[in-house]
Amino acid sequence: MRQREVSATQTATWWSAALVLGGVTAAMTPAILLAASGSGGGFDSVVRGIETRYHVHANKIPFMGLMSLVASHATHGGVHSIHVAEIEHVDGPVDGMELNALVAEHMGAGWQRIVRDTNRSGDEQSLIYVKPEGERLGMLVVDLDHAEMNVVEISINPDKLSDEITEHRHGRDSESSDSKPGDKPDSDESE
Amino acid sequence: MKRTMVWASMLALGVAITVAAAATAQDDLPAPSPIEKTLAERAAHVTEVTLDKNMLAFAGKFMNKDKDDDKDDKAAKEMIQGLRGVYVRDYEFDKDNEYTAEELEGLRKYITSTDWSPMVHERTKGAKEGTDVYLKLVNGQVQGLFVLDAEPKELSLVLILGPIDMDKIGALGGSFGIPKQAVKDVKKAQKEAGK
Repeated sequence: MRQREVSATQTATWWSAALVLGGVTAAMTPAILLAASGSGGGFDSVVRGIETRYHVHANKIPFMGLMSLVASHATHGGVHSIHVAEIEHVDGPVDGMELNALVAEHMGAGWQRIVRDTNRSGDEQSLIYVKPEGERLGMLVVDLDHAEMNVVEISINPDKLSDEITEHRHGRDSESSDSKPGDKPDSDESE
Repeated sequence: MKRTMVWASMLALGVAITVAAAATAQDDLPAPSPIEKTLAERAAHVTEVTLDKNMLAFAGKFMNKDKDDDKDDKAAKEMIQGLRGVYVRDYEFDKDNEYTAEELEGLRKYITSTDWSPMVHERTKGAKEGTDVYLKLVNGQVQGLFVLDAEPKELSLVLILGPIDMDKIGALGGSFGIPKQAVKDVKKAQKEAGK
């Protein structure tokens, strides 16, 4: 009798474990597949796509997470996160249409291209994509200058960043007027 | 009777959706014309800028807050934030006249529809180069501006949709990819129209 009870408890435990494992697997599968295929979109996916297509290796700048934190603190939340990948030895001309299609394919949903600058020789290409993220704006820039390509993703809060810039401008203006009262401000500042 | 009412309601709903969709489509930036694709293939350098309403609202936030006290600058900023879209295409060619008069006409027809009125059509006899300025007038208000500037080696196309204060148009020159020349052309056209 007692043996049957123990066996029933064991079975229940096994079933619970199997259910938990099944649940976790079911929940993780899409994320794993997404990560494996690189179709999650955004910075990593674009960089991987470029690496694969042009047989190049991207150097990601180390400590970018830390730098993002510093930038976020320094700009009082104006700049939220920065990702940079530097790709060297992009040899041979890059077809602008192809690069455009490649980046668009890997960007993921919600991103919108606002600027495309391309030349026929294929050594200068620029693409700028943006994505509204609530109060913030995600911006991804792909820039090819001869054999060097840079991919930069940045998330900014326009309101906070604008406040920050205005504050700095005021600070600089007051500093310059303190030091040289007769001097005029820079011409580009006064515009 | 009840069935007829249901059908009538569905028809009314369908008409309403179609009208709303048509109105929205009119506000939307156009899809690139097939001519643009062929021009891009021939051009040595292509610049494309496409900003929709959301992007312009964001862009407006970056404008100099120092100048918010200035009434004119504030009005210009408000105008930009109220725009529905900016569409700029610039093609630079290696040789002169790498575009045809038919292509220019095709671009004009593609962008401008019934609400658009030509403001300026400047051409030298026998030459393709010149400037076209069109205004989209809705109930007497400027709701769009289209500039097609054709130079021997360069073709610029600027389309701005939304309520435009023509006195504040200068604020757009050099911003959002809009060539300063396009704004100069518009100002010149305004002067000509005022004569």
